[in-house]
Amino acid sequence: MQTLAKFRRNYYGFLFILPFVLAFLIFGLYPVYNTIALSFTNTTLMSSKAEFIGLKNFERLFADDVFLKAVGNTWLLWLLNFAPQIGIAMLLSVWFTNARLNIKGVGVWRALFFLPNLLMPAAVASLFFSLFSFFGPVNQFMVQNNFLPEAMHFLQNKTITRGLVVFIQWWMWFGNTVIILMAGMTSIPVALYEAAMVDGATATQMFRHITLPLLKPILVYIFVTSMVGGMQMFDIPYLLTDGRGAPSSSILTNNMLMYLKFSSSQGHIGAASSVGVMIFLMTSICSLAIFYFLRDKDSAQTRK
Amino acid sequence: MYKFTTLLLRGLVYLFLAALLLVTLTPIWLLIVNATRSTLEIQQGIGFWPSTHMLENYGILVGRGLNMPRGFVNSLFLSISVTIVSVYFSLLTAYALVVYDFPGKQFFYNFILVLVMLPMQLSIIGFYQYMSKLGLTDSYWALILPSIASAGSVFFGKQYLESVVIRDLIDAARIDGAGELGIFHRVMLPIASPGAFTMALFAFIASWNNFFTPFIVISSVEKYTLPMLVQTMRGDVYRTEYGSIYLGLALTIVPIIIIYALFSRYIVSGIAMGSVKE
Repeated sequence: MQTLAKFRRNYYGFLFILPFVLAFLIFGLYPVYNTIALSFTNTTLMSSKAEFIGLKNFERLFADDVFLKAVGNTWLLWLLNFAPQIGIAMLLSVWFTNARLNIKGVGVWRALFFLPNLLMPAAVASLFFSLFSFFGPVNQFMVQNNFLPEAMHFLQNKTITRGLVVFIQWWMWFGNTVIILMAGMTSIPVALYEAAMVDGATATQMFRHITLPLLKPILVYIFVTSMVGGMQMFDIPYLLTDGRGAPSSSILTNNMLMYLKFSSSQGHIGAASSVGVMIFLMTSICSLAIFYFLRDKDSAQTRK
Repeated sequence: MYKFTTLLLRGLVYLFLAALLLVTLTPIWLLIVNATRSTLEIQQGIGFWPSTHMLENYGILVGRGLNMPRGFVNSLFLSISVTIVSVYFSLLTAYALVVYDFPGKQFFYNFILVLVMLPMQLSIIGFYQYMSKLGLTDSYWALILPSIASAGSVFFGKQYLESVVIRDLIDAARIDGAGELGIFHRVMLPIASPGAFTMALFAFIASWNNFFTPFIVISSVEKYTLPMLVQTMRGDVYRTEYGSIYLGLALTIVPIIIIYALFSRYIVSGIAMGSVKE
C-alpha cells in the first residue's frame, strides 16, 4: 500500500519535468534536427522549392577559404583571450586567498573586476568602436600626449582590430574567472596546506601539488564553458566593425559567417545551416572530449 | 627580513590591482562622462569629468526616429517575461529532481549537464525556419517560450534546493492534505526565494543583454529591443552625434550597473555556486 502511494507520488516527478522536456523537444531538439535537415538542402528564404542536395553545402564550405578562415579566426580570438584570462585570474585568485598577503577589500576588488561581464556586449562593442574611432578619445589622448604623431584608423588595421576583440573578451571575462577560481580554492581544506607547511613546503610547491590538482574539475569547467562561448562569439566582432569581419575578414567568426549566409539577398538558409552544423559538431566534440578526458576520475566513479 | 619582503610584495600587488582596476573601469567611465558632454566638447578632446549636456544629447537621440523609450519598454517586458518563465519552470524541474525518485532521473540530470556544454545557439537557423512555419517569427513568444527549458538555470536550482529542502516540512504538508503542486507553491517557493532571486537576476541580465536571438527573430522596428537599437544607432543618422550615441549606450548599460550595485552579493555568490559541483 505504501509503495503504491510512493509510486503515485513519484509520478509527480515526471509531471513536474514535463514542461521542461516539452519545451526542450520543441524549441531545443527539433531546431537542431531541423538545422541538420536543412543543411542537406538548397533551401532559401526567397523561394518555396527546396531540393535535397546531399553533402553539396558541406563540399562548398570546405572548397571556400572563407569558412576555414572563419574557423581559424574564431579559435585564434578565443585562445588569445583565454590564455591571459586564466593567467591573470589565477594570479588574482592566489593573491586574494593568500593569508600572508592579507589583501584588504577582496570582495570589493572582485566585484569591480566582474562588472564588465554584465554589460550588454552589443553596447560594449559600439562603445569600443566609438572610443577607437578616428575622432575618438583614444586618438585624442595619444596625439595630445605625443604617443602618436597623428590620429590613426585603428579599426582598419588587422592586428589592432583583432587585438581589440581579444582585449574586450578578456576585459569582460577575467573577473568571472576570478570568482569561479576563488570558489574552487576556498573549498580546498586548509588542513592540507597546514600539513604541507609543517613538512616545509614552499608556496610554489603547495600551489603545484595541492592547489592545481584539486582545482582540476573547476579548471575543466572554466575551459569548457569558455570554449563553448568562444565558438559562438558574435556580438563583439559583429558590431565592432562592419559586420563582415573588416578589415579583410580578420575578425569574421563562425557565427558571423552563418549569419552572413542567412541574411544574404537570397537567404541561403540551407548553406547557413551547414555552417551551424559544422560548428556545432566541432564544438560539441571538443567540449565533450575535454570533459571526458580531463574530468575528475574519483567523482566519475561516484556518479554511477 | 621576512616582514619586509611581505610588505614589498603586498605593495606591488596593490599597485597591480589598482592598474587593473583602471583598465577595467576607464571605458565605462568614459562612456558615462561622454554621455553628458556635447558633441563639440567630445571633438575638442578627451575629458574625464561630466559636463551638462545630457538633456541636449537625449533630445538628439530621440529626435531622429530612434524610439529609445519604446526599446526600453520592449526590453523590460521581454526580460521580465523571460525571467518569470525561466525561474518558475527551472525551479519546478529542479524540485522534481531533488524531491522525487522517478525512473530515468539520473539520466535526465546528466542530460541537463551535457546540455549546458552544447552550443545550442548554433541551431538558430533551424529554429528560425521552424518558427516561421509556426507563425511565431517577429513575435516575443519565440523568445519567451524556449526559456521554459533553461538547462543552466535548472542546474543552479538543483544545487540550491539541495541545500534548503526540508523533507520533514514536505511530509508535514502532505499529512495536512496539501497537493504536490500546492506544496511546491506554498512551502517550497517561499523557502527557496533567495535562490530564486539569484536565478532571476541572472535570467534578467542575460535576456536584457541578448542580441543574437532577437536580432534573428524580430523584424518590425516597433518590437526592437535595446541591443537591436544600439545596432541601428551605428547607422548614418547619428554618425557625427557622438554625445547622443554615448548617451544611448549609457542608457542600456546603466540599469544593469544599478542592479549590480544593489545586488552584487547575490550575483557574485551565484557565479561561484553555479561552478562548484558535487
